Amino acid sequence: MGKEKEGRELIVSRQILSIPQHFSTGPVMGRFLAELRDNKRIMANKCPKCGRHQLPPREVCAICHVEATGWDELPPVGTIRDFDVIYYASPDPLTGETRQVPYVLCWVDLDGTQGDAPFWHLLDVDDLTKVRRGVRVRVVFADDRRGATEDIRHFEIIPDEPIEGGDAR
Amino acid sequence: MTKNRNVAIIGSGMSRFSSHREEVNQPEMIHEAVVEALQDAGVMLDDIDCVLHGNMELFEMVHQPDMWHVIGDGVWGKSGIRLTTGGTTGATLACAADNLVASGLHDAVLAIGFEKLQEGHTTGGITNMADPLWGRSLQTGALTGTGAQKIIDEFGVERARWAAMKYRTIMDEHAMRNPKAHRRLRLERRYIKETAENSPPLAGELRMIHMCSQSDGACAVVFASEEKVRQWKANPAWIVDHETVHREETMIFGSQKNTQRVAAERLFKRTGISNPRQEIDVLEMYDPSAWWGLDWLRDFLLLSGDEAIKMVENDEIAIDGAFPVNPSGGVIASNPIGATALVRVAEAAMQIRGTAGDHQVAKPVRRALASGFGGSLWTVLMLLSKEKPEQGAETHG
Amino acid sequence: MKEEKECAFVIEGKMALPYQYYAGAIGSQFIVALRDDKRILGVRCEKCRKTFVPPRQSCERCFSSLTDHWVEVGSSGVLTGFTVIRYAEPYQPKEPPYVLALIKLDGADTPIAHILECGDARNARIGMRVRAVFSEKPRDTILAISHFEEE
Repeated sequence: MGKEKEGRELIVSRQILSIPQHFSTGPVMGRFLAELRDNKRIMANKCPKCGRHQLPPREVCAICHVEATGWDELPPVGTIRDFDVIYYASPDPLTGETRQVPYVLCWVDLDGTQGDAPFWHLLDVDDLTKVRRGVRVRVVFADDRRGATEDIRHFEIIPDEPIEGGDAR
Repeated sequence: MTKNRNVAIIGSGMSRFSSHREEVNQPEMIHEAVVEALQDAGVMLDDIDCVLHGNMELFEMVHQPDMWHVIGDGVWGKSGIRLTTGGTTGATLACAADNLVASGLHDAVLAIGFEKLQEGHTTGGITNMADPLWGRSLQTGALTGTGAQKIIDEFGVERARWAAMKYRTIMDEHAMRNPKAHRRLRLERRYIKETAENSPPLAGELRMIHMCSQSDGACAVVFASEEKVRQWKANPAWIVDHETVHREETMIFGSQKNTQRVAAERLFKRTGISNPRQEIDVLEMYDPSAWWGLDWLRDFLLLSGDEAIKMVENDEIAIDGAFPVNPSGGVIASNPIGATALVRVAEAAMQIRGTAGDHQVAKPVRRALASGFGGSLWTVLMLLSKEKPEQGAETHG
Repeated sequence: MKEEKECAFVIEGKMALPYQYYAGAIGSQFIVALRDDKRILGVRCEKCRKTFVPPRQSCERCFSSLTDHWVEVGSSGVLTGFTVIRYAEPYQPKEPPYVLALIKLDGADTPIAHILECGDARNARIGMRVRAVFSEKPRDTILAISHFEEE
């Protein structure tokens, strides 16, 4: 039914629109996701001209505009470049679930990355004061993987490692 | 690229911005803005030969809404074009309208931007925009604390927090003078510190009070050729030039300069402006949050260090200040996304034409700047002027 | 090349989100009249001499306001066109095959789209007279009319 407004009923149609989707990965993202799923390996591709890594990979180097034909495995450890503490969770349209707040998203420079290709994912942490730029973190893979963002559960702080750069934040 | 002829905005209209427009459906809400725009321009529906329609695609989960909106937007029997580029759609509509009339293809173009966010699902829309193969489930859209942190890192937490809330308060003071604005909170300067502290955090130091609203609303703007301006004896705000910047490098987080600065550098170089703070009289900036407003003010005016933050601290950006910013209240006060960037252009034109009523800036306006902002951090920047540009001036296509 | 193609696969996704659409004041009056009074209302633009069903707030052609220009149209009319839906998709009003028809009600200048129940689809003919069958259950949509049938 609708709301009464000046004595007149206002009709509203409420619908949950559920739309199935199918996305092709193509060979480049396909390889990246397959390596995550099957081998727990993080693969970046590399530009033959400038040597930059791209993570997640894409077919063409964003700077040189040539086919990025190289592939390198990057280690599942790195350094936090920046992070975001989220206090307001929006529901995930794929699952309807809402993450518990606060939660942390981080951008991590995996060891050995050439150029700017920070890896973006969740950071699992109990104590928010432990999260700083320069903190060393490692990937935690999910047991049940299907070639998706969730194949990585989150990053976690590597205990007892010094903060790189000694940044105050 | 050169224009074939000059183009001016001769009228604009807006529906009331609100989060409760249950008494109208989408085409009816747009109709309000269109009727007002035609009246303001002093033209009839028959005088318009093309209608450009846009919004943030699928935010209301209606595909090709322009087909439905024919019953209210006046496009029946005319050329109709639909355009959508995300949050910048409104400004892109203005650029496209300018191009269409400048080309000679149309003499009078009606650009319409709208959004009925109460009917839609903003998060779903933003998630829809994200890469479906990677990261979609991590996407938070504009809710990020990184913009605030950048200012805090540079100026220290006390100064930064104060400036952000002062900016927010000034925006609200402006909104209080704009009867169309959505959120008019009567924020008081003496409570700046407490208001910020008591506002719930969204992400990092970005708090609810800093953040833009989700609004229902439509904006319609009439663009006309110089011949039509003469024929109709219209009151014009001339489009000088516009620039759109969408950069991979800016999205590779934090390592490159903002698209706002790149856009400003390119636009001012082309239009021969060397000191924007002196040579431009008012800025209608797409500011999704007070923190970004602080950051991009510096970029748009090609300033450095704390020059921009001082403009906030010293009230220069207030409506009676030396360089007013968002006399309409800006995006924090009203954000019907598909319309929002077009509203910036319309408000800039109103300042030039002298039709902004209670939120007309105190100083005379010769040049106005309007910006649009979109999801992948991109910028659309448009320069308008009271004087007609030289025929055949260099511009961007 | 072959190895590359073997790496490509398909990711299944879904978007399931709640939306709400307001009929507006005019649209609401139309629905309420269908639902509660079993009356079909339109609005008339005197300038263009057109009666629009379903009603809308303004005339799309001359922009006249139509808010107080209600007319009641008949619940019977003429079939002006139809198509037979044979494929199954989510969100259909009924299981295919069914006839989706355009019906110009007596007094209206615009046809409305609705379902025609006529037994076999081959019974549908342009020009046939049809009448509305209202829904037993109260509905807040065009399905307050359940379907049309031959008069």
